[in-house]
Amino acid sequence: MRDLRSCRRLLLVVAVALAMACNRGGDARGKPTVALVLKTLNNQFFIDMEAGARAAADSLGIELIVQAAEREIDVEKQMQIVENLLQRHVKVLLLVPSGSREIVPAVLKANAATIPVVTVDTRVDAATLRAAGGTVTTFIGSDNEAGGRLAGQFLGERLGGKGTVVVLEGIPGHETGDARLRGFREALARTPGIAIVASQTANWERDQAFNVAQNMLQAHPHVTALFACNDVMALGAIEAIAAAGKTAQITVVGFDAQDEARKAIAAKRMAATIAQNPRAMGRLAVITAARLLKGETVPTEQPVAISLVK
Amino acid sequence: MLVSTRWLARRSAGTMLGLLVLCAGLWAATPYFLTAANLANVAEQSAIVGVIAIGMTFVILTGGIDLSVGSVVALAGVAIGVSLRQQLPLSIALCIGLVTGIIAGIANGVLISVGKLPPFIATLGMMSVARGIALILADGRPISGFPGSLRALATNRVLGIPGAVLVMLALYAVAHIVLTRTVFGRLVYAVGGNEEAAALSGINVRSVKIAAYAISGLSASVCTMLLVARLDSAQPIAGIGYELDAIAAVVIGGTSLLGGSGSVVGTLIGALIMSVLRNGLNLLGVSSYVQQVAIGVVIVIAVLVDMALHRRVQRVSR
Repeated sequence: MRDLRSCRRLLLVVAVALAMACNRGGDARGKPTVALVLKTLNNQFFIDMEAGARAAADSLGIELIVQAAEREIDVEKQMQIVENLLQRHVKVLLLVPSGSREIVPAVLKANAATIPVVTVDTRVDAATLRAAGGTVTTFIGSDNEAGGRLAGQFLGERLGGKGTVVVLEGIPGHETGDARLRGFREALARTPGIAIVASQTANWERDQAFNVAQNMLQAHPHVTALFACNDVMALGAIEAIAAAGKTAQITVVGFDAQDEARKAIAAKRMAATIAQNPRAMGRLAVITAARLLKGETVPTEQPVAISLVK
Repeated sequence: MLVSTRWLARRSAGTMLGLLVLCAGLWAATPYFLTAANLANVAEQSAIVGVIAIGMTFVILTGGIDLSVGSVVALAGVAIGVSLRQQLPLSIALCIGLVTGIIAGIANGVLISVGKLPPFIATLGMMSVARGIALILADGRPISGFPGSLRALATNRVLGIPGAVLVMLALYAVAHIVLTRTVFGRLVYAVGGNEEAAALSGINVRSVKIAAYAISGLSASVCTMLLVARLDSAQPIAGIGYELDAIAAVVIGGTSLLGGSGSVVGTLIGALIMSVLRNGLNLLGVSSYVQQVAIGVVIVIAVLVDMALHRRVQRVSR
């Protein structure tokens, strides 16, 4: 029986810890609650987005709850988070979908609860949403296709219109990565001297990018450029390129302009990256939520500027 | 035997008490927790891992482990998606999904019992093979656009109870009866309790093990149906990490990783504890980082308690 008692005691400790966690969260009386659900918090991009959102929430008097799944690809967990936050009656849902199609049922649940949904960075698949009869109030994000085109144009100029390129893709079916790739391919299609000789996914991850890039270099030793659909993968790839002693031979272009990528560009290990502005996205998302709370109407598309960093 | 049944009852009672304490704590901490809508929500969220954990309980009771379930979830889902793309009717496609899971499970079982591979290695191999085949079949992309009748599993409710929850509860009832009231159930405990003794007493250890892994594959493919219905999409990258969630539910539920003792009732409570904890932490707005710590702590506490009780039982039976 003594063990049963000790078990009870341990669980009480958990309960108390939970209660304390609650107090820490604070009951901001009177403040409207807005939820920001990210893909993950293991990526600097989303951490920056959170920082931008928090700063805006503080100045606008909004109670902001930020949540994310442990794994970027775990749409089901993200759906659970959304469901749980709907139970908490948040006033606006700011959402970065982990899967453009898979998140549609969660959007429908928010619609049913009459909680406006604002998507940030990644769109919900328009056709699936329409077929399901759901609505997203507004989208805030970069024009990823234009970013991909910018990357393609830069490579075309840097390579002097001649060369072979390998590509590291994001998770297949992710609208963000697919759009970047579309834009990139479109730009290179205008430069017939440049061919994409391999294009494979590294699932947005650094360690996978290292391995995939290493394998690509084995298969295509004379490749002259690499485009990665995000900086995390580009940073993995430059390590593989350096290990092969080909840093001078291969022009690497990433996407997102993370701090580490900017440093790599300064160190001449990477040629360029496309700057999105996650902080501005987070800020604009919370400002939009505040406008919706006041009953204002917002445009259905709110682009955030992108630029080439080299 | 007497000792172990009494012990089992007490162990499940301890886990149940843990769940109740957790619920009471959340009820006190947030007004949003104890509402009918939220409880239905939590039960629905526990169904995905809850269903896989049924098969995992069988496997762990035999003293094994199945790391391949997450990949099998993806493979079975893709199999269903591809079958539908070939214009096969939904019922046939779902059967293909179930058979896919069972085949993967049987392959695990054969590698372990006939090939004498350690379960960790055999299922680690299957984890990679099944994931790879899922990616090949789906060409790396999610398959979407499923018939509304499948979606109904996720959207329909009976007396306010989500369809997925009813499926889960029905499966737990069946598994409980199989483990406690059938010869096969006794054999599972016997093989896990002492494999040599079981073999010496004439039990066909091989077929018991193969059956346990087949059940694990089957429950993974049933989970797939719930998952596909929920997301309206079969992803070749679905289910990553589910094996660990399922193992955690089994362990929190008091089933010993050494095999031979435990129950599916405990596993169900274990799965509910994990969902309630995640739900509660979301409702409280606790940071995602802290949530991972909390879940890890609960798993470790559960096993600590389990070990303490186990030592006690050994003292009593001696």
